[in-house]
Amino acid sequence: MTARSAVRLAAPALLITLLAIWQIATRFEHPDFILGPLEIAGHFGEALWSGELLPHVGASLVRSLPGFLVGSFVGVVLGLLAGVARSFDQLLSPVVFLTYPVPKIVFLPIVMLWLGIGDFSKIAVIALACFYPSFINAYYGARGTARVMVWSGLNMGARRTQIFRKVVVPSALPLIFAGLRVSLALSFILLFSTEMINARSGLGFLIRQSESSLRFDLMYVAIVAVAALGYAGDQLLLLLRRRVLAWQDATAR
Amino acid sequence: MSGPWSGPASALRRGALPAVGVVIWEAAARSGLFSPLIVPSITRIGYQLWLFVTRPESLAEVWYSVARGLGGFALAAIVGVALGVWMGRSATAAACLGPIFSGTYPIPKIALFPIFIYLFGIGSLSKVLLVFLECLYPIVITTQAGGRAVNRVLVWSAANMGASRRRILRSVVVPATAPFVFAGFRVAMPIAMIVVIITEMISSADGLGYQAMYSLASFKTDRMLAIVVVIALVGVALDRLVVYLRSRLVFWERLDSYYTQ
Repeated sequence: MTARSAVRLAAPALLITLLAIWQIATRFEHPDFILGPLEIAGHFGEALWSGELLPHVGASLVRSLPGFLVGSFVGVVLGLLAGVARSFDQLLSPVVFLTYPVPKIVFLPIVMLWLGIGDFSKIAVIALACFYPSFINAYYGARGTARVMVWSGLNMGARRTQIFRKVVVPSALPLIFAGLRVSLALSFILLFSTEMINARSGLGFLIRQSESSLRFDLMYVAIVAVAALGYAGDQLLLLLRRRVLAWQDATAR
Repeated sequence: MSGPWSGPASALRRGALPAVGVVIWEAAARSGLFSPLIVPSITRIGYQLWLFVTRPESLAEVWYSVARGLGGFALAAIVGVALGVWMGRSATAAACLGPIFSGTYPIPKIALFPIFIYLFGIGSLSKVLLVFLECLYPIVITTQAGGRAVNRVLVWSAANMGASRRRILRSVVVPATAPFVFAGFRVAMPIAMIVVIITEMISSADGLGYQAMYSLASFKTDRMLAIVVVIALVGVALDRLVVYLRSRLVFWERLDSYYTQ
């Protein structure tokens, strides 16, 4: 009992120790751009009430959510189709696997040229980046379906669409969620980098602008907001996964 | 490749999508509907690509990007594998470090780039360290999973036969973890390139990301697209390098997924 609770307390204890060391270190001589955790928390509260933060959070979400939803939806659908239909597989998979290691951010300049420097080009690049992990995981999920299940389904007189819906999709779901998790993390990385490269609003812009105007308090507030958004999105996805995959073995999560 | 992937019909299908893309692009470029600033023809891109790869100074730009990416990646590989094996084999280490890693995993580390610039300067160091930080997570997480999955019976047999702890680590744990380590490397390598290109786009005076943005800003779309091709080739080449190293070093095991195939 004591050993187990000690183990559970280990991580929070380590975290608090690190934060305390950080806080104490800021009491000594230090450069302007380093703030202690308590100051950052205070500034965060202020920015939340003064309305300096929330419009940027909104602007970022308007860019990242549609990009993530469109990109991962198309990725999952095409990945599942390529996983079950051979001709589709041969058409699509070589291109996807070849271009997968290409950093998708390089398309930002081209897309900016075609779609302008507004939100649309950012959404398009985020969607492109989210497509790949979703496609690859859905593809392997569909291909990993146990043959015996498909055969039993066929034997019991299920139609092909039924097998797809009732056998292939459920057995691909764990990997699909793994892909969605990667896509979500990527969508945040791309969101903040596209906003840092060019934008007039959003958290990436806020980080960059407050940095160049030496408002380090606001810069840290924006970074904390980025971290909170990334963490919250991931937790939401895990929650959804626990709901959808309630039937799955707990250890396999 | 053999089986369903061979044969003229499937070769046709596999080449269909790229061929259609090239034809549409070239037709759009020649139709006169778009300015060559927006859709330059493939011959112009090819010419710029030729100019780029034949000049030593532009090959130096490739080298800056690759060196930053590989530097950060190598650092992350050393630290990540060590941490991952430690966390996989020791419950205390897993309890202390595990929640910190899984809690900060979904946070985009790229947001720390401005602080990194202040701390480590605007040169290569801040970029290399950001690559290190982003690559560390997938490597630690997959290595830890591998360290945990080492077959207990093998460890017991080795211990029974009188192997020391170091010997067990070297001869049992490390080989059993290696396939997972390479799975982590395969995830981390494209991330390394993404971070290098992004940081070079945001603030740099050299490297491929900077060159792409610079070409765009000076309305040389053909040159920018040639650089995009170079970046894509570098990304694919580095991925192939990881796959090649794995096929040489971890020839005895294949995990069934894209990252380990």
